[in-house]
Amino acid sequence: MRPLERVMRTRRALAATIATRAVLGAVATVLLTAAFLTTTLRAFGVATSSVWLVADVAGAVALAILARPWARLTVPRVALWIEERVPALQYALVTAVDPVGTASAAFLEREIDQVSWDREAARAMMRGLRWPALAAVGGLGALLLSVRVRTGSAAEHDRAIPSVIATPARDVSAPFARLAATVRSPAYAGGQVVRVESPASIGALVGSTVILEAPGSGEGVTVDAEDQPIPVQRAGAAWRTAVTVGARPTVIRLRQGSVERLVALEPRPDSVPIVRLLFPTRDTVVRAARGVLRLSAEAHDDIGLATAAFEYIVSSGEGESFKFKSGTLGARRIDAGRDATIGASLGLDQLALKPGDIVHLRAVARDGNNVSGPGAGASETRVLRVARAGEYDSIAVEAAPPSEGDKSAISQRMLIMLTEALEKRRPTLARETLLSESRQIARDETRLRKRVGDIIFQRLGNNPTGEEGRNPDDAPASDSTVPASDSARAALLRAASAATGNRDEILDFEGDETPVVAINRPLLEAYNAMWEAGRELEQGETGRALPPMRRALAAIQRARQAERIYLRGKPPAVVVDLARVRLTGKDHGAANTRLPRRPMDPAAARRAERLAAAIELASRNPAAAIDSIVLLRVESLDAAPQLGAALSDALAAMRSGRDATASLARARRIADGGVRDVGGVGAWSGVW
Amino acid sequence: MTVNERTRSPIPDSLVPTSGEFVFATAQYESGDWDSAPLVPANLIDSVAKYTSLPVAPTGAIVALASDDLFRFPLVFLTGHLPVRFTDAEGANVRRFADRGGMLFVDDHNHDIDGAFHKTAVEELTRAVGPLSQLPNTHPIYSTFFKFSDGPPNTSHELNGWGDNLVHSHLLAAMRGNRIAVLYSNKDYSSEWGYHPDNKRFLAIDNTKFGVNVIVYALTR
Repeated sequence: MRPLERVMRTRRALAATIATRAVLGAVATVLLTAAFLTTTLRAFGVATSSVWLVADVAGAVALAILARPWARLTVPRVALWIEERVPALQYALVTAVDPVGTASAAFLEREIDQVSWDREAARAMMRGLRWPALAAVGGLGALLLSVRVRTGSAAEHDRAIPSVIATPARDVSAPFARLAATVRSPAYAGGQVVRVESPASIGALVGSTVILEAPGSGEGVTVDAEDQPIPVQRAGAAWRTAVTVGARPTVIRLRQGSVERLVALEPRPDSVPIVRLLFPTRDTVVRAARGVLRLSAEAHDDIGLATAAFEYIVSSGEGESFKFKSGTLGARRIDAGRDATIGASLGLDQLALKPGDIVHLRAVARDGNNVSGPGAGASETRVLRVARAGEYDSIAVEAAPPSEGDKSAISQRMLIMLTEALEKRRPTLARETLLSESRQIARDETRLRKRVGDIIFQRLGNNPTGEEGRNPDDAPASDSTVPASDSARAALLRAASAATGNRDEILDFEGDETPVVAINRPLLEAYNAMWEAGRELEQGETGRALPPMRRALAAIQRARQAERIYLRGKPPAVVVDLARVRLTGKDHGAANTRLPRRPMDPAAARRAERLAAAIELASRNPAAAIDSIVLLRVESLDAAPQLGAALSDALAAMRSGRDATASLARARRIADGGVRDVGGVGAWSGVW
Repeated sequence: MTVNERTRSPIPDSLVPTSGEFVFATAQYESGDWDSAPLVPANLIDSVAKYTSLPVAPTGAIVALASDDLFRFPLVFLTGHLPVRFTDAEGANVRRFADRGGMLFVDDHNHDIDGAFHKTAVEELTRAVGPLSQLPNTHPIYSTFFKFSDGPPNTSHELNGWGDNLVHSHLLAAMRGNRIAVLYSNKDYSSEWGYHPDNKRFLAIDNTKFGVNVIVYALTR
C-alpha cells in the first residue's frame, strides 16, 4: 500500500474518532447540564419543565465545538499527526505525501513501508475518546443523582420531619433574640429531632413536642397558647417551655414586659393509608361457591403502616330480612414500613354460601399513628355473588355444535334483486339461458322457503325438518302418493291446528287467534308467497315471480318486527296524577318565609377586614403587620386554607425584605371572594 | 350492571329537569340494593303535589351516583339494605355534589344501627363528605314547611321495636356552612313511605309530611 493510501486510511479513522468524541461530548454536556439545572432549580423550588430544552441547546453547542477539528483533517496535517506519534518516520511520510512531489519518492516509500503506525494511532485515538466517554458516564450518574436528590428533597418535606421557618435575628426583640426551638416528632413517626434558631413558624405532625428555650433567667417571661398559660422552667443558665402540637393551628405567645413574640404551630395531618385491592380484580357472580379465592392487596402510607388485613361481609337474605356476618383474613403486622403487600385465601366452602348470598371483600390498612389515629384506609370493595336458581343470570356456556354445510341461504331481498336483473336482461337472452338462470333463483328461493318453514315448525313444536324431510335439490320421493307441496302445506296447517286447538277455523285468523298463530301469520304468508314465486321462477316467468317475492319480503319484515321480544320487563312505574292530587289537596301546610342569602360569611368578612387592617399597618409598623398576618394565617389554616397559603407567601416575602405587594394583593382577592348577594332569591332553575 | 363500568345516565329526556320542575331522583350506586324502595319517590311526589304548589314531575328519575347527571338534581335520595361501598368515581361525585350545593338524603332501609348498611354507608359518607353529626331537633328542616317540634317523626318500625329496637331521636347530617349537604336517617323512612300513594287515604295522619320538609328544605337552601 502506498504512503498516501495509508495516510488516507488513518484520516478516515481520525474522522470517525472526532465524530464519536463530539457525540459523546454533546451527550455528556446534555446530561451534566440537565443534572445541574434540575438540582439547582429544585433547590430554589422553581419548575424544571424547561431543563431539557436548555440542556439540548448546550449539547448542540458542545457538538458544534467538538466537531470543528473535522474541517482541519487535511492529508498533510494527518501525516504530521502521525509523524508526531511515530518519530521513526523521520518526516519521510510528510515528504512523501507532499503534493509537490520529490525525486526520491521510491526511496521514501521503502523507508515508510518499514514503519507501522497503526498501533500508536489507535492508542492516541482511544486516548481522545476516553475523557468524553467518562464525561458521558459521569453525566448519566449526575442525572441519576439529581433524580435521587429530588427524592431526597421530597423526603425532607416528609410529614414525619418537622419544618421550621426562622425569623432573622435582627427582626427580633432583645429578650427573645436567641430563642431556639427543638421539635421532636412523635415516636411512631421515628422521633426525628430538628433544632432551629429564632423560629417563627413550626410545621409538625400532631403530637410532636416543641421545646422553646433561650438563655437567661426567664424572669418575667410568660408563655401562653390560646389564652392558656404554659409553664416556664429554669434549666441551668437558660429557661425553656414545652408544648405539644395539637390538632388545630395554634399561636404561642411569649411575653416579657411589653415585648411579645409569636411562634405559630401548624399541625400536619397524618394521611390515612392508601390501599389497592389487586385480586380479585372485578366483581363476580358464581353459580356455586366452591373452592378457594386468592386475595391480594398493596398498601402505602406516608409515615408507616402498622397493620393490614382483608375484611369480608357476607350478606344473606332478601327483601326485608337480611343477615350479615363479617370477619377478617390475612391480618398482618407491618413494622412501620411505608409499603406492604398482603395476601390471603378465602375458602368459599367454609362460608357455606347459599344462592343469593353476597360476599363483600376489601383490604384495610391502618397506620401506626397512636397520637391522633390510627388512620385507616380501605380499598374498593369487590363483590362475589352466588346466583339464585331462578334468576336470569347464567354463567353456563353451552358449546355450539359445528356449523352444518350448505346452510347458506340468499336473502329474499337479494333474490328479488337477482330476479329484477334477470327480468331486465330477459329480451336479450335465449329461452334456455333464461330458464337455466331462473331455475337457479328458484332453487335458492326454495332453500329459503325451507328455512322459513323450519322456523314455523319449530315454533309449533314440530320437527324442524318436518316440512319436506329432504333437501330441495334432492330427487322427489318416488313412493310418495301425495304431492310434496300439498304434504308440506298440510303439515303446516296440521301443526297450526294442533297449536291453536281450533281445527275448523285454522285458516281464519281474524277471530280469536292464539299468540302462536299471530306470531306465525306473517311467516305463513311469506311461506305461501315464496311458494308461488318459486313456481313462476321454475317456468322462467321472472316478471310474474316478482310480486309474490316482494310480498314475501314484506311479510318477513313484519315477522321480524314482531320478533322483538324483551326478556326483561320494565319495573312498574307509578305515575302520580298531579292534577287529581292537587285538586283533592286539603292541607296546605304553613310555609316559612325564605330569607335571602347573607352577602358574605361573617367570619370571612372579618378575615377580610383584618387583612385590610394589617396591610394598612404594614407601611407604618412592619413587625406588627407581620404579627397580625401570622395570627390571621393561623386562624385561616382551617377555615380558609387558600387564604392561609396566600398569607404564607406574603409572610415569606415580608420576612425576607422582598416586595410583598403581589402576595398581599392575591391574599386580599381571596379574602374578598365568596358568595355575594345577588339581590334576591330566584326560583329553583334546575340548572347549576 | 357491570361494576366499575361508567354508568350511563338512565334518565329519559323528559325527566331531565330543565323547566324549573322538581324531579325526585333516586341514587343508583354500584354496590348494594339501591332500588329497594321503589314506591318512595311516587309517594313523596304525591305529597309534594298535594301540599305545595311546587312544580313537580309526576315520576321520579334514577341517577347513577357516578354520572355527571347527578348535578342536575338538587336532592337525591339514597337507600338500601346491603353494604354500601362507593367506587372512587361515586365517592368523588358525592363530594362534588355536596360541595356544589346538592343535598343527599340517605336512609337506612335496615333500621338497624349495627347493620351493614349503617356501618358501611356512614363510613363511605365520612370518607366522601366528612363526619356525620347529630342534627339538632330545632334545625330549620323540622319547620321549613310542616312543623315537627320533637325533631324527626318516628316510624312504625321504630315504635314496633323492629331492627335495632331503638327510637332514634336525631338524624345525622354533614354540613356545608350552615346548609345540610348529607342528611342521614336510621329511621327507615324507606319502609315507612314505601306504599302506593293511593293508599295514603287509609292513614289517619299522612306520614310522608317530613319528606315534604326535606324536599322544600333542599329546594330553598
